[in-house]
Amino acid sequence: MDKDFTPTIIGFLCNWCSYTGADLAGTARMHIPPSIRIIRVMCSGRIDPLFVLRTYLKGADGVMMMGCHPGDCHYQKGNYSTRRRYVMLDTILKTLGLDEKRIGLWWVSASEAPRYEKVTNEFTESIKKMGPNPVFKEIFI
Amino acid sequence: MNGNIGVYVCECGPNIGEKIDIDKVLEAIASLPHVKVAKRFGLLCSNDGKKYLEDEMRKEELTHVVIAACSPRDHEQTFMTVAERAGLNPYLVQLVNIREQCAWMIPDKEAATEKAIKYIRAGISRVSLHQALTKKELEVCTDVLVIGGGISGIETALSLAGEDRKVFIVEKSEELGGKANKLSRLLPHQGSTLSLIQEKIDTLNKNAHIEVFTGSQVVDARGFLGNFEVVIQKGENAGEQEIKVGAVVVATGFDLFNPEENPAYGLGKVDNVVTSLQLEEMIKTEKVLLKNGKPPRSLALIHCVGRSEKGYCSKTCCLNILKNAHFLKDKIKDVDVTEIYRDLCLPNKADQDYYEEVEKKGVKFLRSNEIVNIKAEGGQISVEYKIDGKSKKISVDMAVLSPAMIPSADSKKIAEMLNLPLDPTGFIKEAHGMLEPIATPIEGVFAAGCSLGPKNIPESIIQAQATAGNIISSLIPGKKIKPEVKVSVVREEFCTGCQTCLSVCFYGAISFDPHKGVSVVNEAICRGCGSCVGSCPSGAIRSKHFTYTQLYREVLEALR
Repeated sequence: MDKDFTPTIIGFLCNWCSYTGADLAGTARMHIPPSIRIIRVMCSGRIDPLFVLRTYLKGADGVMMMGCHPGDCHYQKGNYSTRRRYVMLDTILKTLGLDEKRIGLWWVSASEAPRYEKVTNEFTESIKKMGPNPVFKEIFI
Repeated sequence: MNGNIGVYVCECGPNIGEKIDIDKVLEAIASLPHVKVAKRFGLLCSNDGKKYLEDEMRKEELTHVVIAACSPRDHEQTFMTVAERAGLNPYLVQLVNIREQCAWMIPDKEAATEKAIKYIRAGISRVSLHQALTKKELEVCTDVLVIGGGISGIETALSLAGEDRKVFIVEKSEELGGKANKLSRLLPHQGSTLSLIQEKIDTLNKNAHIEVFTGSQVVDARGFLGNFEVVIQKGENAGEQEIKVGAVVVATGFDLFNPEENPAYGLGKVDNVVTSLQLEEMIKTEKVLLKNGKPPRSLALIHCVGRSEKGYCSKTCCLNILKNAHFLKDKIKDVDVTEIYRDLCLPNKADQDYYEEVEKKGVKFLRSNEIVNIKAEGGQISVEYKIDGKSKKISVDMAVLSPAMIPSADSKKIAEMLNLPLDPTGFIKEAHGMLEPIATPIEGVFAAGCSLGPKNIPESIIQAQATAGNIISSLIPGKKIKPEVKVSVVREEFCTGCQTCLSVCFYGAISFDPHKGVSVVNEAICRGCGSCVGSCPSGAIRSKHFTYTQLYREVLEALR
């Protein structure tokens, strides 16, 4: 394991819950690893599975999807679509022989800054253990 | 692209200025293509800052602006307004969050600066793809449809008509007044006579702005805030009528839990076991009598019937039972009245006094955890209940069950018609339980009274008046509404007509055009969540301001 390895992780966060939760983590001066870079979308339902795949194939070491808890979606049911897409993505990655653990889905509400801190740190740690995304070495597109 | 991008980094006092090396940031981005200016300023959201930005936008002839400051949740609107004043389309401004997401969460200045540069680069890359979006204006209809002619519906209509709004009330039964008609009287501290409600109905009938459809039902309602098309089925054979309204109020009220669902209550099997509504009827006709025609010498008034079955407190029954106990004590000489309750719900300021008054009359209160059985025994009724694990029982001449309030039988049908969500109890779910307690997630559709959950009359009236106020301030005659512009659009040439988007759109904003074989988005209904975009297998739907390329460019810069 490369000790100096700083992973690059892309987070797709919904505007209403998770992004607000991430903002709150900032306001509370929590320590979030600089490896996380956020792409804000209005609803986690907007996250096209192709985005996640392309982000991964372009070399992101990990991709995090975050949305409102089930039943709390600002748009009522958007996060249910996200959940189904996540299951689909998981299957696609497994089928292609890619590491499905590099992609994950979490529910983080607007008040759950500690949860945001916890999941981002844990995910960063697990990606650090896995090492850099081998996609450039393994896949020829 | 052709254009001049201006990048402005806000120091936000010491918040960003001390945590991020802004000079290093400016140096890194000044040479990027199309970036005409890259500058820093003390506090951009201050009046000086806004003036400065406005002047800069004009002076530098900027076509796109990136502002690196706080969260878009704080000041996106502020800077969009500044752009509008400077003559720049507000959607050509991108606010990059380097305060919450960089300065405040990364203690290491170097790492924070590096991350801020990446975010700003992503913002620059994204903004160059932004398109000017213009808000369209739509005419609105200010008439209102009220579904349900109970207390809530009546009060909503009266409040709206007071402002000269035209109101249509659709009531399924033959008369207005709802469940209040079935009560013998109101609580003493709420005004003891039902004539108060009758007065409201009389005022309503005289009001020329209110049109009442009794014995009628709403069979179809579609549209959006300011423009709903509604079909009313009038009576059995009176045909249908189409009306146009701007808002819909669901005031469908409640029904009562049927105690026959649980055989332990004995209703329908044991003589002289009645429901509270049957008792109200007896009190109304002043004939509180047993089956054998004699007045009862003892009664058990049973609270919380259906509470464990339904899983919530109906919060109005306790006072109603107190009211009936009070009446029975006054009217029947030497009668023995016992109330069996699980919890006493006396939340309002006058309730405690009333409870003490009733207790002084000699009404007995017994606490129970569960009603085990109600059965006939020795010419009387035995009520067996459990308290702290022990079984106890009392014998009475008559048992009165007070059932829980449940959603009205039609509310599910109406919710489906209007796309409204129901909560696990089956009542209509509010847009936000605390902040928007009378709005539904569908803009232009409101709910009031017991359609949202158990409530007493004053609370229903509060909600009805609030709903009317909300409608009066959101639908103003002559004033046009500007719907959301960050909506989805279908590119017809790519659409295969699979209709997946129809199934994911919660708001019913997408319809299928059978002639062209493509999906069509109604921009006035679309809320811009983008779920349809994420689901479209052929990439035919585009989400304005969150397009595939805009987001993808952002990702690429973030990965750099």
